[in-house]
Amino acid sequence: MTSRPLPRSVVGLALLLPALIFLVVFLVLPSVILLSYGVLTQSQGGDISLPLTMGSYERLVVSETYRRVVLLTLRVALVTSLFTALLAYPAAMVIAYGKPIFSRITMILVVAPLVVSVIVRTYGWQLMLNNSPTGVLNWMLHALGTGPTPVRVLYTEWATVIASVHVFLPLMVLPLSASLGRINPSLNEAARILGAPAWRAFLRVTLPLSLPGLVAGVTIVFSLTAGSYVTPQMLGGTRGLMLGVLLEQQINTSFDWPMAAAIAGVMVVIALAANVGVGWLAERHALVRAQRSGAR
Amino acid sequence: MASRLSGGGGLVTYLLAAAVLVFVLAPLAVVVAVSFSTAPLAIFPPVGFTTSWYEEVLANDEFQSAFIVSVTLAVCSTITSFVLGMPAAYALNRWNVPGSRAIEAMLLSPFIMPILITGLALLQFMAMLKLRDAALGLFIGHVLVTLPYLVRTVTASLKQVDRSLEEAALTLGAPPWKVFTKVTVPQIVPGIAAGCLFCFMVSFDEFPLSFWLSNAETMPLPIFLQNSMTKVFDPSIAAISSLMILTAAAAVIGLEKLVGLRRAMSV
Repeated sequence: MTSRPLPRSVVGLALLLPALIFLVVFLVLPSVILLSYGVLTQSQGGDISLPLTMGSYERLVVSETYRRVVLLTLRVALVTSLFTALLAYPAAMVIAYGKPIFSRITMILVVAPLVVSVIVRTYGWQLMLNNSPTGVLNWMLHALGTGPTPVRVLYTEWATVIASVHVFLPLMVLPLSASLGRINPSLNEAARILGAPAWRAFLRVTLPLSLPGLVAGVTIVFSLTAGSYVTPQMLGGTRGLMLGVLLEQQINTSFDWPMAAAIAGVMVVIALAANVGVGWLAERHALVRAQRSGAR
Repeated sequence: MASRLSGGGGLVTYLLAAAVLVFVLAPLAVVVAVSFSTAPLAIFPPVGFTTSWYEEVLANDEFQSAFIVSVTLAVCSTITSFVLGMPAAYALNRWNVPGSRAIEAMLLSPFIMPILITGLALLQFMAMLKLRDAALGLFIGHVLVTLPYLVRTVTASLKQVDRSLEEAALTLGAPPWKVFTKVTVPQIVPGIAAGCLFCFMVSFDEFPLSFWLSNAETMPLPIFLQNSMTKVFDPSIAAISSLMILTAAAAVIGLEKLVGLRRAMSV
């Protein structure tokens, strides 16, 4: 060999550099610029410059309307995560423990909608929840004979919740089924042999041991719901106004970039808090439990 | 191991899972059903049976150009994500790069950022640089969105490669690039293919980013679909949607055949 080989870390960095530069230039830098608008002032002519101000953030907190949107966004994200978790367990249990044929079918059918555009799925929910008697839900209620008045779900936050559960369910089922699959089956058998009924073995053995998957799923679903735009825009109406839609209105209707940037700032904080905070809480919880069991 | 879902509890679980599957499939089934309806409005229950909405949609110039834009965009961003992401994922998993955990978090960071904000930030950035080319903006944006999927899938495949084979090749004197092409790549080809297919679908379906960056001349299919929804209320919308469901179904079958869905989703 004529030349000395390059140190491994140099080659590694060279391989990483193109992707990193691309992300820094087109994601990090633009995001920092956009978020900085949140603390700048917009002139009458639309130029954004100094002086620094917390005015936009202040309006988000002080104004009744804006504060309601922030709280509604958090509430929809939370309720969606809860319902998604409830629906995900049976499907994930079948994927992890069911007969191979059922496991495979469930996996395919649950995951398949993930690659269907969110526009198409939300359109499906428009047809399902339509407030007139020609919506699927109202048509079914009518066929069941529950009375003449159609229920009005479309253009409320509940329509957003239902469709968001549908859109994000696969992202809960996947980590959950992986987590369930890693549980040692003899633990559950031991509980059953010692006389625990199936539901109790589930609650005391399976559920606690599947928490890592649940935490991962809730993190994803919560942050994606809080940051979503399509579903609340098409299904939520004015009553179900969420941060993403409010941001879009600030740009396209009010031309208020500092306000839009402040909303973006809040959305980024929510997403970061969900991703970093939940992981941190879970780690701390595990640590506390380890210490407790060590003390015993 | 025998099936762990047995007895009454198992039956209840199966029934609940079946109910969940009905919930998952119902809105898609309704869209497909309505697309064949002869009624002039997209209402339920569908009336009669016709394929005329499909004929109308497929003959529509705007649909055709939106479809071509979407496919071109998906192919270009998948290839670019591969070119950028493949070496990066390899370096993270095989070369001792300082701070590799932070770099990996950085590469996956587009997952955390709400895409609506990624798109708006990019739109503003392009405007600052006086780059008012919708096609270029869409291309860059779609690479941002697809890149983390490729990195994640390739990383998952690399972790399953038998390292001792690579080490054996290195010990026997093969140069690193040869170990990569002759030993590593053959083992991760299905993973790479699944990652690329996934990138293609993510780009093909993308809405909140294209929403900012597209214009009337360069309009991807999901944007065209959403625009049509605000103007047209007949089942042609359902027909376009059904065509997109069909594309997705083909992709899912492809993923299942290539590596199995479970591995494709890297769990």
